[in-house]
Amino acid sequence: MAKDTLFSTLKQNQGMLFTLLVFILLPFVVGLFNGASPAQVWLNESGHSKFIQGLAIEIFILALYALSYDLIFGFTGLLSFGHSMFFAVGAYLTGILLKSFGFSLAATFGMLFLAGIVQALLFGMVLPRVKGITFALVTLGMASVFHVLVISTELGEYTGSDVGLQGVVVPAFISPASERLRLYFVTLTILILVFLLYKRFVNSPTGRVCTAIRENEGRALMLGYNTFFFKLAALMLSSLTAALAGGLHTIYQPIVSPNVAGLGYTVTALLIILIGGVGTLNGALVGAVVFRLLDYGLRRYIGESASFINGAIYVAIVLFLPYGIVGTWKLKSMNLRQGWDRLLGMLNTASKEK
Amino acid sequence: MDSETIFETVDLRKEFGALVAVDDVSMKVSRNTLHAIIGPNGAGKTTFFNLLSGNIAPTSGQVIYKGRDITHQPVHQTIHFGIGRSFQISNIFPNLSVFENVRLASQALGADNFKFWQAASAFKKYEERTWAVLERVGLTERANTFARTLPHGDQRKLELGMILAPDPEVLLLDEPTAGMAAEQVPELIALIQEIQRTGDKTVMLVEHNMNVVMRVSDRITVMHQGAVLAEGTPTEITANKDVQTAYLGGLYELNV
Repeated sequence: MAKDTLFSTLKQNQGMLFTLLVFILLPFVVGLFNGASPAQVWLNESGHSKFIQGLAIEIFILALYALSYDLIFGFTGLLSFGHSMFFAVGAYLTGILLKSFGFSLAATFGMLFLAGIVQALLFGMVLPRVKGITFALVTLGMASVFHVLVISTELGEYTGSDVGLQGVVVPAFISPASERLRLYFVTLTILILVFLLYKRFVNSPTGRVCTAIRENEGRALMLGYNTFFFKLAALMLSSLTAALAGGLHTIYQPIVSPNVAGLGYTVTALLIILIGGVGTLNGALVGAVVFRLLDYGLRRYIGESASFINGAIYVAIVLFLPYGIVGTWKLKSMNLRQGWDRLLGMLNTASKEK
Repeated sequence: MDSETIFETVDLRKEFGALVAVDDVSMKVSRNTLHAIIGPNGAGKTTFFNLLSGNIAPTSGQVIYKGRDITHQPVHQTIHFGIGRSFQISNIFPNLSVFENVRLASQALGADNFKFWQAASAFKKYEERTWAVLERVGLTERANTFARTLPHGDQRKLELGMILAPDPEVLLLDEPTAGMAAEQVPELIALIQEIQRTGDKTVMLVEHNMNVVMRVSDRITVMHQGAVLAEGTPTEITANKDVQTAYLGGLYELNV
């Protein structure tokens, strides 16, 4: 019996497992294509494989960041324009603690956790007072204050002002230069764990109430839910994830540009989930892959006019796939399934009538 | 008839600017009765319901439930006191399944709302409750459809199901049959009567269909321009001269 359930669970998630397998093999396959044996890849000696690993790490980090935005916007219906702050706080804090205060990696991540909770509480403070677009503007205000802080000359000693934070020394065992394969698998593992946690969360009693709040908050209140705490819970998980993504970003780069604190970086998160499908977890992953590869590919092969074409493609995606790639896929496959069900139902009744 | 008061308002008043929507209404509702509130459009019935359920705060006055002043309690507490409220305009979760709409209503009063590490489907008691409620309001077959795709009459049933799920003692039903096809009305009214009688419930009902009101109500309060015009049994109300001139006379034909 237990074996059966295990097998059916595996079968249900075969798409996910397949993707996972692809990402586990990716560094080695890329190495083989360029004539590097798996052993060389293992020792971080294949330049091309390292490059692809780097691109993948960036995608994993973007995916984490997009997931965190999808949780509050796509699932709970909170439109935040200050989401980049969640990420930037993580990125800057990690950089500053490692560089200026000589924290160990573990201690740094401990502080990240605290910072994640604090900023969720900060955003949560205004939750009972403002809704909808007002919440978006208030959060934008908060994030802007943070942006001004990091580019200010007064804090330049720590943040590097508008040049950005540079010269972060990453512990050798996870160094993006000499131990990239390890960093690749660490980031991948973190993404998988966070993804599974999110999957559980959105299907838990708590997450279901978050969806209800997105659909009709007034009714959720009437059903007896004190919606504030559910929105705070979503913000908390989102903030922790984004801060973690920011921390990983610093470790991989290892510089922090003030751009990650700007509105543009919030729009990045929004774009990714629009591409992938708002309110679908897989969409955040697919969106991150498409977003990063488009950006990279266009820049490399087209050059100057890349952003223009990039923009045109996003507009096309929104026009032709209004529910995003995963969202539209789900809708179509559901329609197909229902169509088949109806056809089978008709055939059934017809054969009975005979 | 048990005449113990369960719900009471004392000089309840709501002003919207210069408009007095509810004008010092004092009313007592007895336990286990079906108490209807009637009145022409704009009489303040829905505003009165909004005050009872805590959706809006009164300008002055009190709402007392089981001897306790609940006037200024937050709206999400209402159902925890045992007061369920349905809406005149279907107020559902449009993009969730019918099942999930009712399941959310069942889950609300439990102690599992913040167990984010467990799947919602692991809590069988809410699912069982949901199936029972769907069976009762006749939506079992529709469990997996999106709430927004339901025909209007079924949305009214869903609305009722969502307040039955937590099993409240008092049901505030704001025009449960509004917009329903005429042939569906008796079915729903029979269901409401059955729920009230068999479950020892108190039902407060806003309804426009006079035949229905006169037939099913234990007591009727007539509201007119925000104030209580008359209160009594259906027979008393029918015989009341004020009611006849102000309200029933020109507008409705009575076939009691």
